[in-house]
Parts: sequence; C-alpha cells; structure tokens
Amino acid sequence: MTDLLHDARVSRGRFLRMMGGLAAAAAVTACSTRPETTATTGSGAATELKFIGVADQKAAMDKLAAAYQQAKPSVRITPSYAPTDQVQTSLRTQLGAGNAPDLHVVYPGNGSAMSMTQIAGAGLLADLSAQAWTKTIPAGFKPAFQLDGKTYIFSAGSSVIGAVYNKKVFEQAGVEAPPATWSEFLALCDKLKKAGVVPIALGAQTPWVTQLITYALVPSTVYAKDPTFDDKQLAGQASFADSGWRQAMEMYLELQKRGFFNDKPNGTTFEQQTAMVATGKAAMAIQVSAVLPDFRKAASSPDDLSMFPLPGADDANSVWIPAGVVVGLGASAKGKNAEEAKAFIDFLGKQENINAWAKEIAAIPLTQDSSSTIDPAVESFLPFTKDRAVPFMDQRWPNAEVQPVHFAVIQELLAGDSTIDEALKKMDEAYRK
Amino acid sequence: MTLLTARRTRPAHAGRRRRFGGRFNPETPPWLFAAPALVVYALVVLYPAVSGVVYAFTDWSGIGQDMSFVGLANFRTLLADEQAMGSIGNTLLLTVAIVVVQNGVGLLLALGVHARLKSRALLRVVFFSPVVVSPVMVAFLWKYIYNPDPSAGLNGLLGLRVDWLGDPSVALWSIAGMVVWQYAGYSMVIFLAGLEGVPRELHEAAMIDGAGTFQRFRYVTWPLLAPAVTINLMLSTIGGLKLFDQVFAATNGGPGYATETLSTVLYKQAFVFGKFGYSTAIALVLALFVAAVSLVQVYYLRGREVSA
Repeated sequence: MTDLLHDARVSRGRFLRMMGGLAAAAAVTACSTRPETTATTGSGAATELKFIGVADQKAAMDKLAAAYQQAKPSVRITPSYAPTDQVQTSLRTQLGAGNAPDLHVVYPGNGSAMSMTQIAGAGLLADLSAQAWTKTIPAGFKPAFQLDGKTYIFSAGSSVIGAVYNKKVFEQAGVEAPPATWSEFLALCDKLKKAGVVPIALGAQTPWVTQLITYALVPSTVYAKDPTFDDKQLAGQASFADSGWRQAMEMYLELQKRGFFNDKPNGTTFEQQTAMVATGKAAMAIQVSAVLPDFRKAASSPDDLSMFPLPGADDANSVWIPAGVVVGLGASAKGKNAEEAKAFIDFLGKQENINAWAKEIAAIPLTQDSSSTIDPAVESFLPFTKDRAVPFMDQRWPNAEVQPVHFAVIQELLAGDSTIDEALKKMDEAYRK
Repeated sequence: MTLLTARRTRPAHAGRRRRFGGRFNPETPPWLFAAPALVVYALVVLYPAVSGVVYAFTDWSGIGQDMSFVGLANFRTLLADEQAMGSIGNTLLLTVAIVVVQNGVGLLLALGVHARLKSRALLRVVFFSPVVVSPVMVAFLWKYIYNPDPSAGLNGLLGLRVDWLGDPSVALWSIAGMVVWQYAGYSMVIFLAGLEGVPRELHEAAMIDGAGTFQRFRYVTWPLLAPAVTINLMLSTIGGLKLFDQVFAATNGGPGYATETLSTVLYKQAFVFGKFGYSTAIALVLALFVAAVSLVQVYYLRGREVSA
C-alpha cells in the first residue's frame, strides 16, 4: 500500500482537487439524505412537538402520545428518553443555550436542578394555570405544582415510599400480617433473619436509593410531631440536627447494626437490590412505588410482590407516610410551539389520561373518578394519604445541594466513616447555602 | 555534482511549488496540509473553550439570562470548598496509581509480546482490545466484576470478601484497577512501537560484550525507549487528571465522597447543583493544572531522550 502511494506520484494540485471533489461529493450526499429523513418521519403532520423525558416516563408517555395523535392528527409528538443523570445534563445544556424542546421532564417542587421552582423561576416554563385540571390539584400538593400561585408542571399523581415485599418469602417465614409499629417491624425483620433470608435488601451504591429509608421514617419522626417543620426550617427556626431527623438516622443505623441489611450495601446496586427481592433472596426493600414495575418484571410472577407502609413510630396512630408527586412534565415558555405543547398537557389533564398514566407507574391518580384504578399493592397506603402523608422531603428543600449531601452522608454512615452528628451538620450546611 | 543535478531537474515545478509554501522541508510543519484540521479545531474546540472562560467570573446558573460578574469569588470558593479540595487529593492519588501501574504493566506486556512468541499477534490484539471499548461500558462491566457477593465476580474468583466499590478505603484503588485494565494495552502499543525501533545490532553488540538480559534492557532498550516513555507518561497523566467516565459510571463519586475527582465535582456543580459559573472556574483551574503538569513533564522527559 505504501509503495503504491509512492509510485502513484499525484501532484499537490491534483491531490487538492481530488480532496475538493471528495468534500463536494460528501456535502452533496449529506444534503441528499435530508429530504429522505423528513419523508420517512413526516407523515404529513403540521406540527412536531419534541419531548425529552426520563426513562420512568416512557411507558405512559408513549401510550398517551399515540392517543393524542389519533385525536389530533395534525400534531406529532417525538419523544426521547434517557436515564435521569443524562437527561439532567443534556436538558440543562439545552435550556441554557435557549433551544429547549417543546415539552420536557420537570421534577415537582424544588430541591433539584431540574425542579419546577428552579426552571420556572428562570422564566423557562409556560404557565398552565388556565387549564381546567389545575383547579382540582389537592391543596397538599400545590407546592409541588405551583410557584407564586401559578401552575407550571403536570404530574399524573403521587407515589409512596414503603416496603416492597415478596409475599412468598413472608409466607415461608410464617409472617401473617404486615407490621403496624416500629417494634413490630423490628420483630418481623428478626423473624425473617432467623428464617435464613436477608430481611431488607439495600442497594446503597445507587445514590438515590440511600435516601429512601430516611424518607420513609422522617414523616413519623418529624412531621407527625410538627407538620409545619418545612416552613420553620425555611424560616431558619428548625434544623436537621435538632429534629426527628436524628431519630430517623438512628433507626436507619439500628437496622444495619442488627444485621437486617444484605452484606455490603454500599457495594450493592439498585438492580441487585431489585433482583434480591424479586427472586426471594431478600424479603423486602424500602422503595418508592414508582419502581414496583421493575420489581415485577424481575419476579417469576408479578403477583409475588406487594407493599406496606414502613411504620416509623411505636404508636400506630403516629405513623405517617411519604407520598410525593411523581416526576412530571412542563412546556417550554419560549418554544415556537408553546400553544400546541400546552394543548397536549391539557389533554394529559383529562381524567381518563391521568388514570392511564397513573396505572402505568402504579401511582395514586392526582384526581380520581369511578374509572380510576389503584394498584392493589399500594392500597394499604390509602388511609394515610388524606391527613397523614407528606411530600418527599427534597421537594421543599431550597436548593439542589441538600439531596446529594444526604446521599453521600448515608453512604458514609453505612461505611462507618461518619457519625450522625457530622452527617446532620453537613446537611444543615448544604441547606443554608 | 548531485546538488547541481537536483537543481537542474527542479525549475519546471519550482514556480508552482512556491505558491504552496515552498520546498518540502521535514523540519517545518506542513501548515497548509494541517490548515483544514486546524480551522476545524479552532472553531469546534478552541473558540468555545476560550469563550467559556468568561463564565468562570460569573454566577450563571446554566439556565436563564440572569448572571452577574463576581470577579474572583468562584476561585476563593474553590479554595474554601472541602469537597473540591478533597477531590484534588483523590485525583492526584488516582493519577499516580494509574501512571505507575498502567505504564509498568504496559511495558511488561510490550516486552512479552515483543518476544518471539508464536501467539504474539493474537496476544497483542487481546491486550489491546479493552482500549476500543467505551469507558462507560467498561465501568458497567466492572461493576459486575466488583460485585461484593463472596460467590460472585472477582470475590468468587479469588475467594475474597472485599467490598470493592462500597468500601471507602478500597473504592479509589478499584477504579484505578479498572482504568489500568482498560488502558495498559494502549501503553503497550506505544512501548511496542518504541521497542520495534531499537536496532538489533545494538543488542547483538551488547551480547558480544557479555551483557545479560537485564543489562541489555537497562543499558540498550531502556534509554532508547525514552520517547515512548515520554508519550506514555504524558498521556496517562492527562488521562488520570481528567478522569471522569469511569468514576461517574462506577461510583458517582461515592461511597460518600471517597472517589470524587475534580472532574466529577465540576460536573455536579454544573449539572446537579446548577452552578455553572463555579463549575467553569473549577474547569479552568483543572485545565491550567493539566497543561502545567504536562509541560513540566515533557520538558523534563525530553531531556533524557537519546537516539540510536
């Protein structure tokens, strides 16, 4: 080959002409592919709405986007999905560069870089307040949907955090009823451990999993005693260190001390945690109901799995649960298709569509009618949702730093590298930033 | 006479050639030839990078138009930021481990596959193959290998009970291991190119003088490998200092902050915390640091290069 090149003796001028020719050919080819792509994706739609979402939204969104296209053939929705971290990176870059998609994922409330408060605060989300469904948002959920009284995000409902458990394992260990108090819960774990099964699978290597046990306990240890804790904390009158957060962390570590977690939780991932419960190697996992479909997929039969509220208090009447609005979507305020995008969200706000979306992710529908269905696995949470439920804590945190600090300090505590005092101090520092 | 002949044969093309920058001289870089690439590089890499520097002196959140100049405040924050400072320590430890082990293993592999082995062509491919895999895929793969279960992955193979990625005192070294596994083959190829350039006659002469295997390596091979050493050390140092993909995919900086590197911190500041200004300041410091280390390294290592 080298000899061939040597012998070919192409003059520099000829070489440059050849290269120019190649470049021109490449440009022509590149241009010629463009109409073809449009032809294959076009199908005569007048407006194309781009949606960027997280993987959890795929099942519901695909279904409803298809339904919308049938109802309104002139609008086509082209969705794309990616894991949360990647969406966060690409979407923020697009928002920053001023070329946001028409519709995109938005996290309810505040507390993360892609949350409603942060994006709406930058003037990048369209106001949805005129839409009919926004009038029926339950009062307790308003901080998750609204900023300064205006609604900026659509979400199909709420999910709860509790214990996802394998019914077969519970039966084999002779467990009859789910526990109603913290002592009963500890006794249950003890029984399961004696039966030779890991009581609680914990995949703390996956950062977001670390927070779920504290989130499940804090409603009972903090909010049951003081439902206005968030407001006091925002006003600087309360802190993590001087609140029931300390007790929740102590309870978390008690579970570890008693050997109720799998070996080496910091080296175990969410996927491994899921597989452990689904296959019966572990009895339960403290998880958010939105990932119930993942557990069901990994199990031999989806009916093997159910959920119960994690009792964070010794008095059954003082047990509160976390029920947070699920990840939703908003319309770009500055996109050229803002009106069409808002019309799609109005469509999502119809009761039958709220029901359809909620069903896909085992969520409790935002508003309910006779055709609403509630996943049997989360039925045991319903008595709590009226007056003994609080939104996921991060949705009221003032900045995006507290949550990652919470992840990190839990990993440090599990590794024995830190103390509860240090952990709470770091969280308070992040809160005040 | 030769010179005269050469001159006589050239005039026909001389005029045309001058238009393109004169006679070919191996000492001067072929600027015209490199121009298209340089233009693309300037437009795609240099211009955005330099224009981004401005943000290091602002409090831009990454979204919206609100931003104000804050002078050197971001750099002062960096000096007081425990997490960022801790990540510098982690980054340096990782870099040293990667540079030493990756090049050590790469050199041994190169010496091994340079020997007259029957299967050396196959072995070269095998050792190089991890390099072509995406670093994120390698990290996901190694998450399975580093499964803490005593009966699975590396623990099962070695009969150990190590929490490779979950134990804060081990996790950093586990990541270094993963990087070395992937890039030792890369160092090997560069060393191999160096070894191929060591003249056989020098070895033969040394053997006649009675030099043993080690002495031949020490006094013949090693000095002549110096250019390959320079390139390898520089590439692995730069790679180590800006390590991101593997850490992000394997541990995301955890457990706690045990594997946080400067790159993961700057990523989080930008995309998780929404502090683009501060993140750009960290990126600027990182870029200047990498450039300074590389320049010092090249200056020092070039000094010890010899040719056969």
